[in-house]
Amino acid sequence: MIPHSDDACVTKDLEATVRELSDTYEELSLLYRLSDVLSGMSVDEIAEQVVDEAINTLAVRTAALLFYNDDSKKLFTKSFRGWWDKGAVIDNKDRLIWSAIEERKPIAFCKIPEVGSVDRIHDGASMLVCPLIGKTRVIGALVLADRESKDEFYSNDIKLVMAMASQTALIIENALLYRELQEFLLSAIRSLVKALEASSLWTAGHTERVTEYSIAIGAAMGLPIKQIEKLKVCSLLHDIGKIAIPKDILDKPDLLTAAEMNEVRKHPIIGAKILGGFKQLRDVILGIRHHHDYWDGSNGSQKLKGEDIPLMSRILAVADAFDAMSSDRPYRKRMTRQEAINDIIKLSGKQFDPRVVAAFKEWVSRQDPVSSL
Amino acid sequence: MVKVIVIDDEPFILMMIEDKLKQAGLRVITMRESKNALSLIKKERPDIVILDWMMPELSGIELCKMLKGDPDISDIPVILLTAKGQDTDKQMGLQCGATLYITKPFSPRGLLEMVNKVIRGD
Repeated sequence: MIPHSDDACVTKDLEATVRELSDTYEELSLLYRLSDVLSGMSVDEIAEQVVDEAINTLAVRTAALLFYNDDSKKLFTKSFRGWWDKGAVIDNKDRLIWSAIEERKPIAFCKIPEVGSVDRIHDGASMLVCPLIGKTRVIGALVLADRESKDEFYSNDIKLVMAMASQTALIIENALLYRELQEFLLSAIRSLVKALEASSLWTAGHTERVTEYSIAIGAAMGLPIKQIEKLKVCSLLHDIGKIAIPKDILDKPDLLTAAEMNEVRKHPIIGAKILGGFKQLRDVILGIRHHHDYWDGSNGSQKLKGEDIPLMSRILAVADAFDAMSSDRPYRKRMTRQEAINDIIKLSGKQFDPRVVAAFKEWVSRQDPVSSL
Repeated sequence: MVKVIVIDDEPFILMMIEDKLKQAGLRVITMRESKNALSLIKKERPDIVILDWMMPELSGIELCKMLKGDPDISDIPVILLTAKGQDTDKQMGLQCGATLYITKPFSPRGLLEMVNKVIRGD
């Protein structure tokens, strides 16, 4: 027979094991959640989400994510919850937070008066600072303070926050790299477009304006940010095929002959071919290829109509026509803004997707509320 | 300068203890394997030894018993660390000659306080 006291021991032993297991489980599930939720998010969204996760998992009232700026060698607040001065800029004069960055290690403090006063944290509560170190750079620091239990941070908390910090650092670093790559791609594309526009006076500024209009229409349609980004690239590159059209046709001061018109009509397909090597731009290339297709199929060189035409092309068609109508051409003067708007509305359901025209109307009326639609 | 040897197979715990004790101005030597710990302790003659209970090869209890059985170093105080938290464990830990017993998870500040207590001989 097992004596009663052994029973109690077994129960306690079991409790300890359960506690250990639940700590491990918490750590794993947090890491899984982080990588699952954060991947694909923008840097700003990641920063908000991490602070929320920290608040919930560690049961703290204050959490702040600081970003390190390598030029100024200072830390700035990116996101926070609780009692935190968001304007706080932290440099090497700060003994607590800076030392975590410098030593690349988490630091836990409590009874803060021991180490001097800290304005940022009230009440002398405990505080945990964990640096965010990526593979190639220092990302920043995660600061947690003000535990709901009024307790200090224990070894298991510190371990959990460290795991969280290293995961977060990698995800943020990836998002930053992605953003930098995106910016690089956009500036390369802009240079390409400038080269194109430099060769023809008539198209100067056309691309930037069409891009502005497309993005506005896309936003009015409520497209997600990723799709707007693609739309931007698509708009910037939509006329790239004109590089291959003879300059005297593009700059001809009279109406074009049927043969010349045929040449000009090739530019979407030529553009798509020029960019064909960019596997990453597949959607964008399709968008360019069909940007002169008509909603009712009547411009049918490519036999697409209605929703078979990529959405990017349908948006681009309206933005492109609106700018063409309201700009001077070698062979004609521009329409007034109102005339151009009216023409586009008239062509809804024929040349243009009615849903896109509706978004266009919404955008125009927001810009210019007095115009009669 | 007070010298401390810390032996734990978990690198994170080693790092955390090392950081905290170094901040407080102590000299810290860390070790991840308990196998050759005894010769290191004999060589370094620290003021205090911190041992993890659960280690592969040689447990903290066994190591503590060996240390206490060696007249050269038996006077060195030992703090035992463990995730277990029950009274019989505690008794077992103290019976092997350990001065103090700290359960994981612990706070770095709490650990430093215990180390200071042992050093002062409280």
